[in-house]
This record gives sequence, C-alpha cells and structure tokens, in this order.
Amino acid sequence: MNTLTHPASYSPGLWALAWRRLRHDWVAMGALSIVLGFLLLILASSTGLIADDWDQEIAVNYAPPSFIGAQAPLTDIKQHQTAPPDNPLDPLHDIIAQLKREMHHAGTDRITLLEKRSTLPFGADKWGHDIIKKTIKGAETSIIVGLVAAVLATLLGTIFGAVSGYFGGWIDDAFNWFYSIFTSIPYLLLILAVAAVLQQKGISTIVLILALTGWTGTYRLIRAEYMKHKVREYVMAADAIGASHWRKMVIHIFPNVSHVALVQVSILVVGFIKAEVILSFLGFGVPVGVVSWGSMLNEAQNELILGKWWQLTAASAAMALLVTAFSLFTDALRDALDPKLK
Amino acid sequence: MLTLPSASRLTQLSTRRPNHRQPWRWPHQLVCLLALFFISTTTFCATSPADPDKVLHIPFEAADDGFDMVKNANLYSGWVSESIFETLLTYDYLARPVKLVPLTAEAMPTISNNGKTLVFHLKKGIFFTPDPVFKGKPRELIAQDYAYSIKRFLDPANRSPSLIFVNGKIVGMDQLVAAAKKSGKFDYDAPVAGLTTPDRYTLKIELTQTDYNFLYCLTYSSFGAVAREIVEGYPTQLASHPVGTGPYMLQKYTPRSKIVLVANPDYRGFIWNFHSSGTAWDNQLVKEMQGKKMPQIGKVEISIIEEEQARWLSFQNQQLDIDWLPQIATPTALDGEKLTPAMTEKGIKLFRAITPDITFSIFNFWDPIVGGYSLEKNALRRAIIMSYNIDDDIIQLRMGQAIRAEMMVPPGMAGHDPAYRSSISYNIPLANQLLDRFGYRRGADGYRTLPDGQALLLKFASTASASAKTASEIWKRGLDKIGLHAVFLVNNFADNVKAANECKLMIFGGAWQADFPDGENFLQLLYGPNALHGNNACYQSPAYDALYKKAVSLPLGPERNALYVQMNRQMEADSAWSLETTRIRNWVMQPSIIGFKKHPILNSLFQYMDIKKKTS
Amino acid sequence: MTAYLLRRLWQMIPTLLGVIVLVFFLFNWVGGDPAYVLAGKMSNPEQIANIRAQLGIDQPYTVQLWIFIKQIVTFNFGASWSTGEAVSSIITTRMGPSMTILIPLTILETVIAIALALGIAFIRGSLTDRLIMIACTVGMSISILVYIILGQYVFAYQFGLFPVQGWGDNLWENLFHYSALPILIALAVSVAPDLRLFRTFILDEVNQDYVRTARAKGLSERRIVWVHILRNAAIPIITYVMSNLPALLIGAFLIERFFGIPGIGREVILAVERSDFPVIKAITIYVAAATMFFNLLTDLLYQAVDPRVQLT
Repeated sequence: MNTLTHPASYSPGLWALAWRRLRHDWVAMGALSIVLGFLLLILASSTGLIADDWDQEIAVNYAPPSFIGAQAPLTDIKQHQTAPPDNPLDPLHDIIAQLKREMHHAGTDRITLLEKRSTLPFGADKWGHDIIKKTIKGAETSIIVGLVAAVLATLLGTIFGAVSGYFGGWIDDAFNWFYSIFTSIPYLLLILAVAAVLQQKGISTIVLILALTGWTGTYRLIRAEYMKHKVREYVMAADAIGASHWRKMVIHIFPNVSHVALVQVSILVVGFIKAEVILSFLGFGVPVGVVSWGSMLNEAQNELILGKWWQLTAASAAMALLVTAFSLFTDALRDALDPKLK
Repeated sequence: MLTLPSASRLTQLSTRRPNHRQPWRWPHQLVCLLALFFISTTTFCATSPADPDKVLHIPFEAADDGFDMVKNANLYSGWVSESIFETLLTYDYLARPVKLVPLTAEAMPTISNNGKTLVFHLKKGIFFTPDPVFKGKPRELIAQDYAYSIKRFLDPANRSPSLIFVNGKIVGMDQLVAAAKKSGKFDYDAPVAGLTTPDRYTLKIELTQTDYNFLYCLTYSSFGAVAREIVEGYPTQLASHPVGTGPYMLQKYTPRSKIVLVANPDYRGFIWNFHSSGTAWDNQLVKEMQGKKMPQIGKVEISIIEEEQARWLSFQNQQLDIDWLPQIATPTALDGEKLTPAMTEKGIKLFRAITPDITFSIFNFWDPIVGGYSLEKNALRRAIIMSYNIDDDIIQLRMGQAIRAEMMVPPGMAGHDPAYRSSISYNIPLANQLLDRFGYRRGADGYRTLPDGQALLLKFASTASASAKTASEIWKRGLDKIGLHAVFLVNNFADNVKAANECKLMIFGGAWQADFPDGENFLQLLYGPNALHGNNACYQSPAYDALYKKAVSLPLGPERNALYVQMNRQMEADSAWSLETTRIRNWVMQPSIIGFKKHPILNSLFQYMDIKKKTS
Repeated sequence: MTAYLLRRLWQMIPTLLGVIVLVFFLFNWVGGDPAYVLAGKMSNPEQIANIRAQLGIDQPYTVQLWIFIKQIVTFNFGASWSTGEAVSSIITTRMGPSMTILIPLTILETVIAIALALGIAFIRGSLTDRLIMIACTVGMSISILVYIILGQYVFAYQFGLFPVQGWGDNLWENLFHYSALPILIALAVSVAPDLRLFRTFILDEVNQDYVRTARAKGLSERRIVWVHILRNAAIPIITYVMSNLPALLIGAFLIERFFGIPGIGREVILAVERSDFPVIKAITIYVAAATMFFNLLTDLLYQAVDPRVQLT
C-alpha cells in the first residue's frame, strides 16, 4: 500500500477534542452563554455605554420597586430652617454678606431640587440610586476584580510551582518552606497583614490581597504536575537536543499542564468574587464612590430589617447567576479536558 | 429562761377537752419561742430588700475590658463598675439640670481656700463585700481607701487612661510620681501633702490650683473606692475580681459574653424619695416608686450583643428587658417621637434621652492644605463645612434620632444655651461663590485647585464601619457639588488614633460624650496648650485660649457660661470644626420595668429601678 | 515510623521559626500602635512614652523578638493589653465555644456529604444527578453573609424555632439550644462544595479497572461501593477535611459575631481592632502549629487507610 497517497488520519489535539466534548454538553453551553453575556455587559458598562449615570440620585431614598408601589418615606423630620445668625467675630463676615447680596440679586441663592421618582423598576438604595444600574456597575467591579486577581494568583502559583517542581533540590525546599509559612498563618490575619503593608486602599489593593493570598493552591498542583512531567520521555528528548531549562519549562512542559492552570483560573474567579464580599464586610472593600456586589451586600445587611429587600435580592441574584454559570462551566471544562473521564 | 414545753405537756394541751368558759390559747411560752425564732431568722437574713426573683436582662453593644477602672476607660466597664464601687458623691436621680449629692460622704464637702481645699467626712458603717483576703473580718470603708484609689491612677505602672482627671492637680503628688518613674515602683505609703486622712473617716484634698470642676472629676465612675488588700491580693485577676461597697456584686463573668450581677446582701440600701423635676414621666416614676426600699432588683444579667439585628430581635422576643433602640429598628418601632401602635399594644414604654455628646469633623490646623489662619484657608474650610448636609446625616446616618448640634456644649450640660444658633449652615451656592471669590478655580478635570494652581486633594481618615461609610458618602456628595476632590482612606482604629493625636491626619471625624456635666469638658478639645494632648485639631488661637483661661478661673455660673458662648463664636469664626449632631437615645423597655429614667452622666441605674412581677 | 515522625517534627521547626519571625515583624511594623488606644481620650506624649515602656515596646526589636521566642517556648504570652486577662486563659476559655460549633459541624458535614456523594455516584449522568449538582452550585454561589442574615431573621425571629443569639453555661444547653441554628446555617453553606468535590473523588474511583474486575467477579454493587470505592476515595477526602480544619478555627468568626458566641474567631477580630499584640501573636502561633500538626496527622492517616502509601 502506498501510504504516501493516502492522507494520514488527522489526530485532533487536546483543545480540539475538549471543545468537541463541550459543544455536546448542553449545560456547559448554557453556562458559557451566560458567562459571555456577563462579559459583554461589563464591556458595555466599562466603556460607558450603559449604567454610566448610576450615581445620579434619581429617586427618593429607598424607593421601592414599581411592582410594589410607592411607600411613605422613612423619616419625615423637617428641620426648622431659619437663616443663621451673624457672627461678629467672623473675619469672613463682610465677604459672605456681600456674596449673599450678589446671589440674591442674581436669583442664584436657591438650589432647584430635581423631581425625584417615587418608584424604580427594581427600587432604589438609601441615596436614591437605581438598583439595576448599581448591580450592573457592581458586576463590572466584582468581575474585573475576580478575573484580574485570579489570573495574577494563577500566574504567581504557576511560576513558583514550575520553578519549584522542575528544579527540585534546595530551590524546592525553599519554596516549600515559604509555602508552609503562608498556609500556616490564618487567612484572616494574612489579609490584615497584606492590607496593612499595602497602605493604599483601593481596587488595586483588593486585587493584590486576593492574589497574594490565593496562589497557594495553584502552586501545589503545578508543582506536582511539573514533577510528574519532568521525568517523561519527551523532556528527556528535549534535553538530548540541548534545550535550556527555561525552554523546557515553558515551551515543552507548560502546554501539557496549561489545562490545569486554566481550570484553576476559573475556580479562583468564583472564589474571589465571593471573597470580595467578605472583604467588604471586614472593611477592605472598594472605596467610597465605587460600587461592587460586596459593597451592595454590605449595605443590604441593615436594610432587611427595615423591610427594604430589593438591594439584597438584586446583588445576591446577580452574583448567584454568574457564579453558578461560571462554576458549571468550569466543571464541564475540567471534564472535557480530562481524557480519562467519561 | 424559756424552756421548751415537754412533749408530754404538749400532748396534754392538745387533748384537753375544750372548756367553754376558757377558749384554747397558745401557751405563752410557745408564742415567745416562735416569735424569737422568727425575729432572729430575719436579723440573720440579708438586710437588702432585693428580690432574687427580679432579674433584669440588659445588653451591651460592645465588650467591656474588665472591671479594674484604673486600667481602662471603657464605657461598659464603667457601667458595671458604677454599681459595684461607690464614689464619694453621686448625682440626684431625677434632678435636671444634674445635681451632685453625697453617696458615701455624709454631706457635701466643705470647700475653702478659694476652692483649693476640700474636706470630706465619710459615713460610718459601710462595708466591702466579704472576700477571703479580708480573713473573715468585716472590712469597713475608710477615708484611706479613697486616698489609695486616687494614688493608683497616678502610678505610672498602671498607665491609666483616666490620668488626666487627677494629673498635676494634687499638691505634692508630682514628686511621688517622678520618684516612682525613677525607681520603677510607686510608694503608696509615702505621705502626700495634698492627700491626707486626718482621721479614719476624714479625707482632705489640697489642689494645686482652683478647679471648680474637681468635684465632678471625683464623681466620675472610675473613682469608686477599692480596698488595698484586694489590689495586692489579686494582682493579675483584679479585672475579673472586683470587690466594692456598692449595691451589686459580680457573681459570674464570661468575658465577651456575659456578666451577671447580684444584689449585695449587706448593702445599706435607701428609700426611694426623689423629687420630680416636673415632667409627666417623673411624676409617674414618683407615683410608682415613692417610699420603696431599694435596691429591688436582685439580679442583673448582661449579655454582650454586637450585631444590631440580634439585639433588636432578642428584645422583641422578650429575651431582653431594656435596651436603647438600635438605629435600624427606628422606622418600625417609632412613629416620629412616639412608639408605633404595634409597640404600645405590647405595653412597651419609651424614654427619649438626648445624650450629652457631639459629633464633629476636625480640620488639622498644621496641615499645609486645610490648615492655617489666613482668610484663604479659612474660606476653604468654611466652604467644606457648608457642603455637609446635616439633614442627610440625621435622616440616613442616625435614622432621625439626632438633633443638629448648634454649639459645642450639648443640651443638659452647664453652659448650653438653648437659644444659640450656629452662624454656619448648609449652603451649596454660597460655598461655591466663596471658593470662586478666593481663587480656587476649577481645573480641566472639573475639580478645583489651590489658588496657586497646585492640586487640591482632601484626605479624610475613616474606619471600616458601615456608619463611617455612610458619613463618607454624605461628605462625597456634598464635596462633589462644590467641586472639591476628596478621598476617604480607611484605616484601623489604632492607626487613626495615633495619627490623630500626632496631628498627622488632614480631616477626620470625632465624637465626645461628657465625662462631667460642664461645658469645659467639651471646650478643652480646642484649647491651644492641649495640642498633642488631646486637641487633635492642633488649633491654637490666642483669642480662644484667652477666653478659656478666663472661663476656668470663674466659678460655675452665668458669667462663665457667657464666655463659653464667646468661645463657640470664635471657633466658628476660624472654621475650626464641622459641628454636626447630638444624638438621641431611645430607651425601650418591657411593660414590667418601672422606675427608669436615663441620667445624662450615670449609667448604672439598677438600684433605682424595679420590676413588676407578673401576677399569675 | 518513629524515624519518619521525628524527621517531620524536626522539619516543623524552621517553618515555625519562619512564621514567628514573619508574624513578629509584620505586626510590629504594620500592626498599628496600641499605645494611643490604651491612653484614653486625652493623652499627652509623656503618658504615651510611659505606656510604651510598660508594654515593653520601646525596646529594640532584637530584644523584643527574643522575649517573644521565650514566651512561645514557655507557653506564657503574658496578658492582653486591653483587658489584662492572661492570654493563655483567653485561648483556653474561648476554645470551648468554638469547638462546640466546629466539631459537630465537621462531623455532620463530612458524613452527610459522603453519604450523598455515594448515593449520587450510583445515578451519575442521569438528570437527577445533573439537577442536584446545579442546585449545589446555586447554593454555593450565595454568600454566607446572606445565609446568616436571612437565617437569623426567618428561623430565629419569624418562626421562633431557635434563640436569636446567645450562649449558655453548660455543654448540653450550648450544644443543642444555642448551637443549633449556627450549625445548620454553616452546614447549608458547606455541604454543597463538599458534595461536589467528594462526588468527583468517588467518580474518579468508579472508572478504575479494579471496579470493573470486582463487578466481573460478581460482587454486589453495595459491597463494591462501601468496601472498595470508599476506601480508595478516602485519601483525597481525608486530605480535604484535614486541610480545612485549621482554617475553620478562625473562619467561623462571622457566625460567632452574628450569634454572640464567645469563640476564638471573634477574639481575633477584637484583638486586631485594638492592636492587642499578645493575643494576636499567641493565636497566630497556635494556629500555625495546629496546621502543621494536622498536616502530619493527615499523612499518618494516609498510611493507616492505604497500606500502599510509603511514608518516606
């Protein structure tokens, strides 16, 4: 038989096979579409297409959802507004008096109050912000924080794991020692310590806190994988042709373990989005003026007892939807990438 | 000598046939014997009228720090200690404005030498509760106990947070403190010229200078008398082993969780006979409690409950008897200033008390951006103050349970003028005009810069709590309206306190609750020489300081109070603080609780209250 | 075996030293100065200097580090700076309540998760399996904060089935009356992830060759699952349970805070708020030591469960 005229049968690689398997799994496809939907949402939100005016106070405080109908305001205490008296000791007294006169002439001494709506599609928070817009903006913050932190944590864990698993010896011992210390210190104290060192509070701090405390799981897995692959024949072959250490680690071994890293990223995204809620509770959340699902849940804590349940429901539902979809997709991805299962 | 009738005689008595001419009577021997028996048992029984079945359940919203009041200034520790230890004087329960009355002293002290010498005479026959360290002998309260207690505050090894109340005030004490710092040990037996006990029940104090508020300092709850034997006998457990002369004693202590007090069985007690101050509440109290022997409540169970939801739900489940209404419960429990019908149906009672406190935001006068006494900087601070919406603060932050603080001295304290109105108020257009006038132009990003063109960034220091976040939001909304760029840095409490004390923060919030009922307690916070000593604004105004010095040299009264008003105007003129609110506490109690009226200074009121028992 | 044990214990020492040095420097450098918090409302620099001298934090770092190491070796961490209570007493008294929640929780959680996972393994791939897994995932995606808030409000207050919060005096009361709702809420949150994970472990085993052989031999499905599969799946299950234990010690602070339980988690938060170093340092060291000890225990259990495993 002339094998040259017959085309050799095409053998699909790991990724192609995985994609084929995924495509047939309806749950995974459904989850993937939800995740993609969220990603599109945050793309639109971050470019300012939607929810850009979330911080406008367009409704009365705690306006209920439209399907419930308007409610009486929380407290109706009107403070007695009389003009403040003069202060004879005040060095600014004359200037202020003059300004008041000028404003009175120009008619600019009153602020026109905007008409505030009494209900919104899904209600308003304590300052009258639209809950739906807040949820979208919160999604943007939470998801980006989760994604960036997860990628960073996996990157750190992979690099440390690769170096540790590949080189072995004292390098491995040193990393292991470092790893043991990190995992021995209680998570809470680790967060506080990292937060204190970073000083500056903001979104980047949250990302760094999550990344610097979350790399340990990836480290362990990647290290085990590198130790396993290092003694395989293809690595020995690469050695024979004179490949350098770095070349072997990155070009040869890494593609074979990248699926582990990918799954880790997905798992961490979910974990970090949930961890951000706890960080907000502890006070390490987003700064004032920025909204995330964690900050919304934090505010919602005290609102339930007032009977205002809409912020709690919106944030929980949105988060539940995304996290469920992401988790289901991660599971399916892991199953698809693992040739042994099925 | 009475003898017990013999058994045979008793049987004879009982079987004697009733004689119609002489009805059967108790033999007189038996009567006397029985009478003696009952009298003796009552004498051996406790003298305290407290009923052990009357148990009061009350929550604390934060944990205490133990009950050695020299070592801590925790509000909740003080609350409990007030009922265990006794100070020389206390306040009249109902009188408003507050009035000092003697407690362990026989009468108010004799004051001489221009207010610098005070002589107290102690009541005789007051005893500490029994303790093994007293070796079985009853331990009487003597003047030396108060001298010892005061010295403990000055001992450097105790590093007392209440040092300020007595530091440098007593003649001869400074040498002793200096010697203690050098040798490492405070000599409690060394004589001190300004703190002497001429006899067993007399205490004489000589002050270094006239201090018209010193009596209030001595009445501060931390100055209850402790016994030296207890302090020396329990060196490491003193915080959990308080032994005092007061109406209650500590029965059980689970730190961070529960404190149980029981009535002191040997307490001398008193008869409830306070005079109404004229209000309907007072009249009701007098009607219910007049003439009763106090204390009535036999046991107090204090639970430490930090979360508001847990506290409120526990109260509604009747697991708690009295509490101050958590803010989140305000809309459901209150209708304006009264309880909602749902509450009154259950018989729940409400007492609204204006707390003698103020909340404010402090500008650091040493900061290059907001500090300084020039017109330009003054205008900047003035505009910032005018951008803070106090109505929003009251409605959103305090759920309507606060009033605007017009002056630094809150209602109920000496020096408060109900007619006083602050000269600064919320005014966005005016703030904008003021900043424009002084050259704070808007830059390309819409935020204002300094007149010389440099960036203007306001840094607010705050903590991680939910209320701090709400306050920051109120600030941000206001500052955005006047074009000032601000960031809100969250730090832990300890760091903030340190930086604040060292005048390193730019703008930060503060609150102060009265330690004693005079305006001086509040005005000292801006007194120049107190910079780095508690004056966290590092505000040093010669005009203000001159007024302050003059005021403290005058006896308490209208002349002094007029100076307080002047000081307030000076503070406003320099835009030193953004004065915000005074809080209102709504005390709610179950229908069985009677006799309660919150005192502005006193916290521990268990010995003045009673519980109506349910008639089954 | 003894050689292995000794070697492991010996290896713990550098790690423990690393933790000690790290904790020491972290909290002395960035932990916040406690002197001002302890100084009261109005303080002066003299007072602050005195407080620092009394607490011993004005001495050079090397001296303080040496004192710290001595404290660890003698198990005497001194007294809390804010309350004066002996730190060892704090730890021993707060351990009880924490354990009363965590031990029943861990046992219940593991048993329920294993039982459910085994049950599901039988019907793997079916619609029920899928649906249960999705339900678990949804359950996991709701934050524990939401569970606590809702649980307390609905079950304790609205339905009155449990006390809203509190802690009692004797063990039985605590175990059955006060711990019930906290444990239930914690179970609701933790069974779902456990179930998913254990299902994966068990499925890993189900596809192995020895199961096929056992079936070919004619063993009943029940015997295969309970005797063979469970035994093999036990290793990853044990690793997972043991590795979670030390984290649980501190991690339950949310539950403790909302339900008023005087446990270790709540103590740590309070200590951090006040920069109470003796308490923070002591708890960190104990938890670190506990973690290392649990790791060792896990490895020993490995050997007991799987005789193939060689402890080198």
